[in-house]
Amino acid sequence: MERNELIQAVDFVIHERRSIRQYTDEPVSEEDLRMILEAARQAPSGENAQPWRFIIVKDPETRKLLGAIGAGGSGRRFTAEFVTKQMHERFKGLEDEEKRKAVFEKLTSGNVSAFLADAPVDIVVCGKKKVWDLPYDTSAAIENMLLMATALGLGTCWVIAPCIDIRDEERIKRLLDVPEDYKVISVISVGHPTRPHRPRPRLSLHELVHAEKWGTPYYKEEEA
Amino acid sequence: MNDRKLSLGYINSVLYDLEKAFWDERGRGARFRVTTVGREYFLDKCLPKIQSQDLDAIIKAVEDVLTEEGIVLGQSHLVEDRLLHIRVEGCLHQDVERKLAAKDVEPFTCIPANLVALAIEQVLRRPVELAEIKLEDGACNLLLVLFEPRDADV
Repeated sequence: MERNELIQAVDFVIHERRSIRQYTDEPVSEEDLRMILEAARQAPSGENAQPWRFIIVKDPETRKLLGAIGAGGSGRRFTAEFVTKQMHERFKGLEDEEKRKAVFEKLTSGNVSAFLADAPVDIVVCGKKKVWDLPYDTSAAIENMLLMATALGLGTCWVIAPCIDIRDEERIKRLLDVPEDYKVISVISVGHPTRPHRPRPRLSLHELVHAEKWGTPYYKEEEA
Repeated sequence: MNDRKLSLGYINSVLYDLEKAFWDERGRGARFRVTTVGREYFLDKCLPKIQSQDLDAIIKAVEDVLTEEGIVLGQSHLVEDRLLHIRVEGCLHQDVERKLAAKDVEPFTCIPANLVALAIEQVLRRPVELAEIKLEDGACNLLLVLFEPRDADV
């Protein structure tokens, strides 16, 4: 592949990635799954520790439980945001009352994370605790997986809701027999998207990048 | 060894440093990683005192332990549908919250809240979420949310 084609392909994949929460019933092929896991295996890690481990969950009953744990975690977290009015503040820009109500209901119900039950494959990412850079290493592996899945035409979602709270992480560890010296980092759902999704807005480089020290934008507003 | 007395100032300064370090590392997500802090104490001191399945009685049992042990000077609660309001007065650890707030860090963990949540979850299988810790008039006003009992499998 020519250098320009390679750049275009990488750029395309990065920009095409979406967080997909609805999947068709079509299974993920073993070839595709292996490509995704191989991409994770090639991620960088501190001292080349490679602390990532993966559990492939296809069993519908186990996926259902993962979905329930995820929904429980999201439901609790968003309900806390709702009762303290933080959610109202977050969505104050959404003026349509009906839409706002629907968003609040979806978030506080936890259904926003229940889809793990419906994805054909859930990849549970675990990390070895006795390394220096566990969260960074495993995050690099996860991003590699998301990008490879996108290149393969698959949809993924990086879900933290089932394990962000230590109480839920303990449930997953019991459910999947994860040993004590490993931490559950995230669950990645994988499947064929039901429909194309528009990109979510991104902050401009003007807002993100500083020149030499914090405070001076590296890019002028019009350049970004 | 167990009878050695420790200065409260020492304990709270170490707790503050730990919480601040954890906040600096994990930001707002820190709160989700400390929801079981106090579990050993709960199992040792609180659980044996809980003799009822009644929500009020469970919360009261934890309150009694905390006051009898001198961890708080007083604690009261009000259940309003799914909201649980707890007022904690004279908590030994209040200085920790005060120092965090002074550094513009929203207090993100509270042992009395955790003990109550652990008790409700353990006895009634009802998930509980600590939504807010507010420092007011020398007391802490806590807001917790009670959820429906979870399925046995989850």
